[in-house]
Amino acid sequence: MNKAWLHFVLIACVGCLGFARAQDAKSARQIIAEAAVLSDDSDSQVKLVQSLTGLGDPETEPLLLSWKEGGIYLVPGADGKKVAVTLAGDPDAAKKETAIRLDIKEPLKDAAGASVRVSPTSAELAETDSSIRRAMKAVTDLSKLAAPNAKDRLMAISQLGMERDVSKLPILEGRLKVETDGQVKRAVQEAIALTQLRSPDAAVRLLGCKALEEIHPLSAKDALVGIIRDSEKAGDKPLLEAAKKALSAVESHRTVVNFFGTIFRGFSLGSVLLVVAIGLAITFGLMGVINMAHGELIAVGAYTTYVVQCIFAEGLVLSPFGMQMSLPGMNTTGWVYEMYFVIALPMAFIMAALVGLALERGVIRFLYRRPLESLLATWGVSLVLQQIFRLVFGSNNVQVNSPSWLSDNWTINDVIFGWNRVFVIGFAVLIVIGTWALLSKTPLGLLIRAVMQNRNMAACLGVRTERVNMLTFGFGSGLAGLAGAFLSQIGNVGPSLGQSYIVDAFMTVVVGGVGSLIGTVASALGIGVIDQSLQQILGNPVLGKILVLGAIILFLQWRPAGLFATKTRSLES
Amino acid sequence: MTHSLLVRPIAKKEWTFTAIIAFFFIVVMPLLNSFGFISDFTINLWGKYLCYAMLAISVDLLWGYTGLLSLGQALFFSLGGYMMGMYLMRMIGDMGQYHKDMPDFLVFLGWEQLPTFWKPFSSFPFAMVMVLVVPGLVAYVFGWLAFRSRVRGVYFSILTQALTYGASLMFFRNDMLMGGNNGFTDFRFILGFDIRSPETKRGLFIVTAMILTVTFVGLRCLTRSRFGLVQQAVRDSENRVLFSGYSSPNFKLFIFVLSSLIGSVGGALYVPQVGIINPSEMTTDNSLEAVVWTAVGGRGTLIGPIVGAVSVNALKSWATRAYPDLWLIILGGMFIIVVLFMPKGIVGIPGMVRDWLAKRKRQKEPMEDAAIKKTEEEAA
Repeated sequence: MNKAWLHFVLIACVGCLGFARAQDAKSARQIIAEAAVLSDDSDSQVKLVQSLTGLGDPETEPLLLSWKEGGIYLVPGADGKKVAVTLAGDPDAAKKETAIRLDIKEPLKDAAGASVRVSPTSAELAETDSSIRRAMKAVTDLSKLAAPNAKDRLMAISQLGMERDVSKLPILEGRLKVETDGQVKRAVQEAIALTQLRSPDAAVRLLGCKALEEIHPLSAKDALVGIIRDSEKAGDKPLLEAAKKALSAVESHRTVVNFFGTIFRGFSLGSVLLVVAIGLAITFGLMGVINMAHGELIAVGAYTTYVVQCIFAEGLVLSPFGMQMSLPGMNTTGWVYEMYFVIALPMAFIMAALVGLALERGVIRFLYRRPLESLLATWGVSLVLQQIFRLVFGSNNVQVNSPSWLSDNWTINDVIFGWNRVFVIGFAVLIVIGTWALLSKTPLGLLIRAVMQNRNMAACLGVRTERVNMLTFGFGSGLAGLAGAFLSQIGNVGPSLGQSYIVDAFMTVVVGGVGSLIGTVASALGIGVIDQSLQQILGNPVLGKILVLGAIILFLQWRPAGLFATKTRSLES
Repeated sequence: MTHSLLVRPIAKKEWTFTAIIAFFFIVVMPLLNSFGFISDFTINLWGKYLCYAMLAISVDLLWGYTGLLSLGQALFFSLGGYMMGMYLMRMIGDMGQYHKDMPDFLVFLGWEQLPTFWKPFSSFPFAMVMVLVVPGLVAYVFGWLAFRSRVRGVYFSILTQALTYGASLMFFRNDMLMGGNNGFTDFRFILGFDIRSPETKRGLFIVTAMILTVTFVGLRCLTRSRFGLVQQAVRDSENRVLFSGYSSPNFKLFIFVLSSLIGSVGGALYVPQVGIINPSEMTTDNSLEAVVWTAVGGRGTLIGPIVGAVSVNALKSWATRAYPDLWLIILGGMFIIVVLFMPKGIVGIPGMVRDWLAKRKRQKEPMEDAAIKKTEEEAA
């Protein structure tokens, strides 16, 4: 049965290829118009429809669809012969619409030269039967294969590959011969090989296995396992061997892909940690202030991003403490809207820095000599801020859309690189370089380091330590705001956003060695990669996280002062 | 001999005071309740407050007396609660939804038989021993590691925070076989008594009050002993203690384990009174909240944490009903104010007032002296 069907399609396809070539001049529109009229000759209709294959005419698909859904009518023309028409959609009082000739897209004229108007309810519909519809489906499937856009072709091919319909094999092979795009070509090869595995012919299956061994696509695993099972049962040794080889090739490819994927994800997680922790490395590492509200400063950045996004769109209505506050929107679209994130970044920095300055002036400056108490007071601040977020923005998460230039990805050799993650990595590098430059290359940086190393001595030398403290804390807080702007692109923005990162951030700074920027970088990347690797190995994110926390506690046994400890002679550090 | 010279013996007045307060909680309140003057709800509520007071006292022993700010006390509190919860779960017997002689969630997870580690929890004494052993062991191992490598100050806080976080992640997992997200609830019996009856609640209240009293008196003696002095010296200057030949890590380890036990007993008493335990109890925030109670009441005194736990929670009960949106702001604000302006808490208020009055007097006195001199001069 299957074979007979295959033969039929093969013949039909070859036949219509010839047919189509003979009638090169005809457009899809003309062919369909011709076919629709032949309502009493189903075979010719099928042939005509099949001749659409490979035309690559973009109109094919919508026209076939409209035919199928009853959008084409048969109306007698000037010579009395039926003509395929569509209706123009301009009903008059009698609900009649202008008939447009399908083949030339012009109004149908009657013998007197006037436009023909027909009513959609009384006009004869161009019918379709099941064989035509089947032919149509084949044509639309295949027309996608010939789509001018490589991405569309890729999608159509992977769909065909998943169907694994042996009858489509010749079509795929035909495509392979003409395909020029490397990526699409690979996909076609993959689809062919996968389909070959279904072939009734053992030799073809063997061919498929060999091809799969060569291109080792990740998607082939299940199919190959099936082949191995079947060939074991049937005792087909060469096939079994080939399938096993192919499977091992796929598996080793998977290992490689997972390895690089894990490294990439590890680096991106590490960069997120780094971006989150670098502000803390300044306020905690350099200044020795335990700021439990650091997480909320991150949330300030994220919410700022949200507000900026809303201002670029329709605006925003806030109702804090029973008041109504509406921010007008600029209603931008297109690339202007996409650029909102560029504005949001500095805004997030500024807002968080301002909140940080207020925090420093209001609370922390009284507690520089009492770190444990600064921990408690700032935790109080964090509670207050969280509640304020809830009152202002609601306790649910708010929706922050990624600009399109952050939401795509590159796929290189099956490893997926999300642009937002790549961006985070790039941005982390920029922030680290910027912070390093500020601390070690500018006069302000010199003062900061002087004050942090010995506050009293710096004050004696005339440094206004109060002001330096304030600026340093503001800078650290601003970095937290930047982190928030980023986190809004890769996760949820809600009142407890900060809470989910604060433990990790403190861990990162402590492991890196308090007061050491390079230590923070190393520990962030290290924790990120180890975390992702453990997740990959254990297949369980939570277990991985628990192990990382345990590993950190043990690590601090070995190096209590962190990776890059600042050497000091003082007893109480 | 130096002992009695240096340490102020506990005054008779103080004993009497403690005895009166304890008598009120252990005898008077339950009696009033059984005659209907105090509602069952109030007794239950105060029972909860007293459990919180246990937690606060354990925080104070660590933070107030030894200078170790542990953010892991909520972990020990809920570990104790979980151990008690396991016993209570076993006591449900086959009265659960699935009518099998094991906790519902285990049936739901597809267990045919009770996992081995659950079995001994049918025995109350075993569960009570576990209330002490499990948190004690966790505290011992963690403390040994932390103090050995001289993790101090804020680093200790951050590490205990990580410990708590990791543990709560673990308890959230279903494969932990501790009820996952939902934890334990729907308890029915404790030692054969119906856990929901007013009599049982009254009994639990009395037991809690008694244990709190014993803890209070015990710690009173401990902190006034030679050991307590070393402990406070560690808080004030650990290096001097080390150089004087004391092994400060061992002192800290002992205190850390002791306070974990006190917290754990508090948790074990808490669970039958509120009827639920789940991993959301096991957060850094809860530890920090206990630190607020201690700070508000007055750190470094033993009565302070009790006063703080009761008053802050009473305030919370009222504020979460009257101003649900503002409670966290009130709590956070209270924290900031206490840390900045009232380092000695409520208990320290009389002292603050006394100091203030004395200061005023001192300022006034020279003025009066001058005034007298002036009049004398004028007279001359």
